[in-house]
Amino acid sequence: MPQTQHPLPNRIKLIWGISASGSLLVLLVVTGLFWLAQTYWDWAAWLTVTMLVIAVGEPIIETALIPYRYRFTRYMIADTAVEMQAGFIFKKRVAIPIARVQNVTLNAGPLLQWQKLSKITVSTASTTHTIDGLELTTAEQLRDQIMQLAREARHDQN
Amino acid sequence: MTKTKRTHPLGLLDHLAKSVKNWWPLFLIIIAQSQSWWGKLLIPAAILIFIIWPLISWWSISYRVTPTALEFHSGILVRHHEHIPYVRIQTVQRKQWFYLAPFHLEEVSVETASHEQGKPEVRLAAVKPEVAALIERYRQAVNAAPTDSTTAASTESVAIPTIQATYTLSTRTKWQFVLTSTGFIPILLVALGVYGKLPHNLIERLGSDLAHLSGLFLIIGGLAIALIAWLFTVVMLLIRYFHFRAIRTGDKIQVAKGLFQRNTITVPLQRIQAVRFKQNIFRQWLAIQTTQLLLASRAAAEDNNDDLVLLPAVTLQQSYADLRPFVDWAPTTSPDVSALNVTNGRRWLLVRNALLIALVPVAIATWLWPTWNALFDLVLIIAFGQGLFAANNTGGGIVNRHLLVLRTGHWWTRETYLVPLAKIQSVRLRQSIWMKRTHLMHLTVNVRHGNRNQAIALRYLTAEQAESIYNWYLTNAI
Repeated sequence: MPQTQHPLPNRIKLIWGISASGSLLVLLVVTGLFWLAQTYWDWAAWLTVTMLVIAVGEPIIETALIPYRYRFTRYMIADTAVEMQAGFIFKKRVAIPIARVQNVTLNAGPLLQWQKLSKITVSTASTTHTIDGLELTTAEQLRDQIMQLAREARHDQN
Repeated sequence: MTKTKRTHPLGLLDHLAKSVKNWWPLFLIIIAQSQSWWGKLLIPAAILIFIIWPLISWWSISYRVTPTALEFHSGILVRHHEHIPYVRIQTVQRKQWFYLAPFHLEEVSVETASHEQGKPEVRLAAVKPEVAALIERYRQAVNAAPTDSTTAASTESVAIPTIQATYTLSTRTKWQFVLTSTGFIPILLVALGVYGKLPHNLIERLGSDLAHLSGLFLIIGGLAIALIAWLFTVVMLLIRYFHFRAIRTGDKIQVAKGLFQRNTITVPLQRIQAVRFKQNIFRQWLAIQTTQLLLASRAAAEDNNDDLVLLPAVTLQQSYADLRPFVDWAPTTSPDVSALNVTNGRRWLLVRNALLIALVPVAIATWLWPTWNALFDLVLIIAFGQGLFAANNTGGGIVNRHLLVLRTGHWWTRETYLVPLAKIQSVRLRQSIWMKRTHLMHLTVNVRHGNRNQAIALRYLTAEQAESIYNWYLTNAI
């Protein structure tokens, strides 16, 4: 493809890191509940142990995969189409012509807002595609571009 | 008809039926508890639910057909006001139960492409046929006027649209169609599921009983159940496809069918998302296939997973010749599907995957019930055949700049899709790290179907094949 592939903004790695520690926290709380159940209701000890392994293991894997996830996630915005690409072991690539886009949703939780990023969801008449994080300006630009195209070519086809 | 109107009082029956369908256990409770005080207390509740509520809900529904939009008002506690401009209408469906026929009344449902789940935007339980005709006329006028000049000119010159194509079922094709349905298989599976739900000790007792009986007896029993299920589907299909008739007038297609409930669906040509030829294993033997239209509404939901059946049974040679008068963009002859394929060594990959999927349940089942071993091995053989079938039937290619043809094989059903470029919502490529080495790719073409997405997936194509479709889509879709 002639247009350049953009990586996600660098700050997204920080967001992913924080969300991994968030899941560590949640999973540790769950483990704590299992431990309480074990002490007070005599639940099997192996349940708590398994839960602890998951609680520690999952965030570690999630964190370890961040550079990988970052490196192989790409997006491309051309005049007529949006392309998204993700994954290395399972590589996915999707093309969405802007003329098919029904609506664009910008969505930012507190973390993304803090970093001036935004999650962007592009919906067609049948499918939904998400870019995890874009610079707020890029996201708004993409939204305006799609709205512009939608105004120009009013396809009442769907 | 610019005045706001209510539906015919006979529409009450429809609301009543809905109440009975949702609340019938109440009757049983009242009868069972007729002696106790609280059973008597339920009687006023029953009067409210079965008499007053249907009356109010009938009374609350009103509609207005204006030249610019269809208005629909409903709701008792929360009022809904629906305004539907005619350009937004996907399908108009008319259903006539036999008891409404003498009164010249019918049910009219109007659907848009909105993602609203489950039900049509407008549903009028009992109205005169003029209502649907009027909606149709306004829609035609709106569609013809602003968009492109060619259709506008043609509809103006032809005041009454002439019938351009008709398809009816001949006795022979009708029987071919109903006799080759695989609709009985789900019924069989349900029967099997009921067997699985039986109490454990009963199965064990049955199992020891069965051991005394000859295998032949078992097979005959199974076949008898299959036969009953099959006869049931045949009768159902005969009723549902009674007096099947598809006609094309101007830029719309109308399909009518049904005995007790006459079901008429009207769909504008430009709303067709894709055409699908579907051929189950029995129909492959007879070399006939079913032609369906994929729509962006749920009007045809009762048919067959939202597909509107256009030509129930056509021979392979005739398929395209018969389709063409209805759908202008369809090719006149069977297009070449050899550009996309899974051949030679790549066939093994689909076989392997089918076997892997079957292997785990089979292993567990064999471990739990070792005596049924032979039966489970049969599943593996079926899986092997399915993999091979999928590989042999994968096909497709670019027909022209605006049309794609794709063929898949799932569950011994061969499906050929004709997808216009303008209706493809997105295209996805997938490649695992192992497939990178062997230059293979999965291709998924997404089309709107009913209220959801239809992903047409062709697996284990060569990377060049898959990318050729992807690039065709990316460069042409504007």
